Amino acid sequence: MKLYPLFRLDTLNGFIGIFIGLFFVLILIYSLDFMWKKRNLLQYYFYIILTALFSLVVVFTNDLRLLLVFWGLLGLTLYLLINIADDEKASLTAKKTFIIVGGSDCLMLLGIAIIYFLSGTFQMDKIKLSFNSSLTNLAYLCLVIACFAKAGAMPVHSWIPDCAEYAPLTVTAYLPASLDKLLGIYLLARISLDLFVMNSIMNIFLMIIGAITIIAAVMMALIQHNIKRLLGYHAVSQVGYMVLGIGTGVAVGIAGGIFHMLNHAIYKSCLFLSTANVEYRTKTSELDKLGGLAKILPITYLSCLVASLSISGVPPFNGFVSKWMVYQGIIEKLTAYSAQFTAQRFVAILCLVAAMFGSGLTLASFMKLIHGVFLGQDGDNKQVWAEVSWRMWLPTVILAVVCIVFGVFAYPVPLKLFIFPAVKGIDFIGTWHAGLSTLLIILGLVLGISIFSLRDLKPVFRKDRPFMGAETTALELTKVSGVEFYNTIKELKVLSFIYKKAEAGFFDIYEQGKRFVFAIGRGLQYLHNGVLPSYLVWCLLGMLGLFYVIIFK
Amino acid sequence: MMILPLFVVIPLGGAFLLSLIGKLDKRINDALANIATFSLLVLSVFAIRYPLAGKVLVYKVGGWKPPIGICMVLDGLTSFMLVTTNLVSCLVAIYSISYMERYTDKYRFYTLFLLMLAGMNGVIVTGDLFNLFVFLEIASVASYALVAFGTEAEELEASFKYTIMSSVASSFILLGIALLYSFSSTLNMADMAWVLAQRNSSLLLYFVAVLFIMGFGLKAAIVPFHAWLPDAHPSAPASISAMLSGVVIKVLGVYTLIRIFFNLFPINKTSLSVLMFLGTVSILAGVILALSQWDFKRLLAYHSISQIGYIILGIGLGTPLGITGALFHLFNHSVFKSLLFLNSGAVVYALGTRNLQEMGGLKERMPLTANTSLVASMSISGIPPFNGFWSKLWIILACMQSGRILYAFWAVIGSILTLASFMKVQKYAFWGKLKKQWESVKEVPWPMQLAMLVLAVICILSGFLVAPFFSAFIDSAVKVILSGQGYAHTVFKMLR
Repeated sequence: MKLYPLFRLDTLNGFIGIFIGLFFVLILIYSLDFMWKKRNLLQYYFYIILTALFSLVVVFTNDLRLLLVFWGLLGLTLYLLINIADDEKASLTAKKTFIIVGGSDCLMLLGIAIIYFLSGTFQMDKIKLSFNSSLTNLAYLCLVIACFAKAGAMPVHSWIPDCAEYAPLTVTAYLPASLDKLLGIYLLARISLDLFVMNSIMNIFLMIIGAITIIAAVMMALIQHNIKRLLGYHAVSQVGYMVLGIGTGVAVGIAGGIFHMLNHAIYKSCLFLSTANVEYRTKTSELDKLGGLAKILPITYLSCLVASLSISGVPPFNGFVSKWMVYQGIIEKLTAYSAQFTAQRFVAILCLVAAMFGSGLTLASFMKLIHGVFLGQDGDNKQVWAEVSWRMWLPTVILAVVCIVFGVFAYPVPLKLFIFPAVKGIDFIGTWHAGLSTLLIILGLVLGISIFSLRDLKPVFRKDRPFMGAETTALELTKVSGVEFYNTIKELKVLSFIYKKAEAGFFDIYEQGKRFVFAIGRGLQYLHNGVLPSYLVWCLLGMLGLFYVIIFK
Repeated sequence: MMILPLFVVIPLGGAFLLSLIGKLDKRINDALANIATFSLLVLSVFAIRYPLAGKVLVYKVGGWKPPIGICMVLDGLTSFMLVTTNLVSCLVAIYSISYMERYTDKYRFYTLFLLMLAGMNGVIVTGDLFNLFVFLEIASVASYALVAFGTEAEELEASFKYTIMSSVASSFILLGIALLYSFSSTLNMADMAWVLAQRNSSLLLYFVAVLFIMGFGLKAAIVPFHAWLPDAHPSAPASISAMLSGVVIKVLGVYTLIRIFFNLFPINKTSLSVLMFLGTVSILAGVILALSQWDFKRLLAYHSISQIGYIILGIGLGTPLGITGALFHLFNHSVFKSLLFLNSGAVVYALGTRNLQEMGGLKERMPLTANTSLVASMSISGIPPFNGFWSKLWIILACMQSGRILYAFWAVIGSILTLASFMKVQKYAFWGKLKKQWESVKEVPWPMQLAMLVLAVICILSGFLVAPFFSAFIDSAVKVILSGQGYAHTVFKMLR
């Protein structure tokens, strides 16, 4: 069978296909226990399998029409999968999600129609457009919005936090956390590298979007009290790095963006699955109610810790390597700009600062998560007995191990196998000797632990009942979850205003669009007053208009 | 044996018989009406083979030779419209078996229903302009009565508005026909096309064009002539709403516009661009108004305005791709919109309310209604792989092909808003938690289920209508439209 004009395997999509398969298998294993005895199980597995198949078609296709159809189908399966949860909030989320994702598919249709109009073909490897007309810009923007909606970059990100909070956790780990990121960023890379010849304005545009996404989403994540929602905002924030990396237009930056996409899919699905373990045992995902689970869920704790450190960009884990590559991309971009381009230089510096600062804030919010869930005092969770079954911890452990391997052996394994063939001409400014550094870090840790365990330096804990308001209270009642600490950020004068706006949906394109359309709708409804003579007057006016246009022109 | 007159004779005869003997027994009603509509469907499917073989059938009514006598013509476009109309009416008739049990005087319903069908089939097959007007009035008058069938205050008011506005349109159409008759001295459409092609275009033709755009535009509910529709369509019984939104506005409005502006008049660029503009305004106005509705059927009615806009936009483009897209969308819309109205009817049948806010979680109790309505909603929102996606894709590609980027853009925006509004329907009616008061609700009887199921299956399958092997069906219709005044030659060739 001849596949070529419709499908094409190259260095960019090959490894993405492999990872789609990996996530599919892991989620299937995980669902065996997590979804057990839930309703509509048959439909659930059916949609999960369909999603994997459709994703493979999207990744390997070489025909824009096929891409469009299967891209749209993925939106449909996502909608149906969120609705599996079968409650009020989930159905509201599903509605919002599908309006944003499906709506962006319509824009993609327009973009593809314009590409066809300009180049006369649907074959992706035959298309090479440069930005010489406003039509090309429009086509590129339409496709970029579709990618953003799928991956969850601003301003079409707002479905992801909702989806994380209300959809079944396996669905979140499967679609918004891993597959949708892979596909969205894959398409962004594909159109930016192959279909269009990027110019500096488009690059700057992508970089700004990326930087804003990083900072704004991580700031939102900092103030969340629900683990799932917190992770949801991080799923948005991390997309910023990928967009930023691809937006640099420098080989090492693009490679960093693509590598970060891969890493993100791995550690974010690990985080969501760990959260699912916690929720499975405690039936809650509120940080205030959790605590001290490290003793009970040790395996979950360790894998979650590894994933948290990865997402925060702590060496030697994989998140660090890809972020480091993105930074290098921006720095290389900076040096490429000569003195005339002060504005571009300035933007690039801002992006660099945003990316590094965002990384720090990510670490801060994950400290909150790790402390609030696994360390600290015990929460009010009485239903916990033991670690979850192997079918549930194995996927998280596998993902955590991949995180370590991709970090420590970044050059020999993932970069050499997947990324370097895909992006040509990478040269590093500063080399990161992962192996040596890992050794040093381990050495440091061992040293630290041995010093810590010396008899005299070991701290002495003393537990006593606190005395407050002329009364001694029980120790359990004075639990410090560590969440309150982060409220300080929310109460800062400048930020509190923005946070209030953000929580009221001011920055949500969905809410704003709704408001706008309903305002027009009210105007039109006012005209439809149900009075027959006024309707007849419209007809008359319409006829007069027609007479004017047809006879006098 | 000539099949052409049968398309009018069967429903007209059925209506006559029903009004005579329908009172005797209920089962006779159902049987007679369903036999009539089913035989019409079989006939229209059977008739496809003539245009596919490149043949055009012409029937001389009463043996009188046109242009003096009246003739009936079966070409590609006719056959396409006949299949669309009779397919929907056949399924609606099946649905009505159970649904109309709630109303008294079922036989009167069937009588009016068949009368309306006779009018529509007549409009499609006729080759005579005045005859077209007569059939148009038969269908319209029957539909006025059907809108008022519930005889509650709301229905009567809607019917009254519909009657007045539609009559205004009819009188303008009649005026237009009279002016054309005085200009060309003939009423036969083929003959008139031939005469108009010989003469120089005059101001009178432009005047008539305006009258026709207004008249047929009102029947098709194009903005700003649409105001009767959101009242009339929701008020009728659901099976009639399905007919009205599914086929009546298309046959009385869109088909007649196509026939006259492509086959009769010399093609005029200005009127086409006017149609394009009005179509786009309809797309946007209809969908924005639909978004803020909470009445299930009223929401669907506004979507009819919006979807007709897509069809008119495609036709206005005047390119082969645009017309193919428009006809394709016409077929698809009649399938999924009638399905949606039947769904709403099923919900009303089971719950007794049309307010979306009072529903919720019905998927649990009415799985078939919920799933078929999901299919229809995805179709109308243009989600692959359902049929609406393909026809919208065709229309938008056609817009781009002729360089009408702005129209393409608005069509896309309309599509997004359509999706949003149907997400609302799905969320409030079918997903979510089942409300306490609906716990004893049961799925509707089997005839209603059967009709909805068949329509849902067609929603999925009819995406193939533009696939290589099946496209001949639409292509034969498109060929007729693009031949322009060549229509006259083909008809005359058959008469000779």
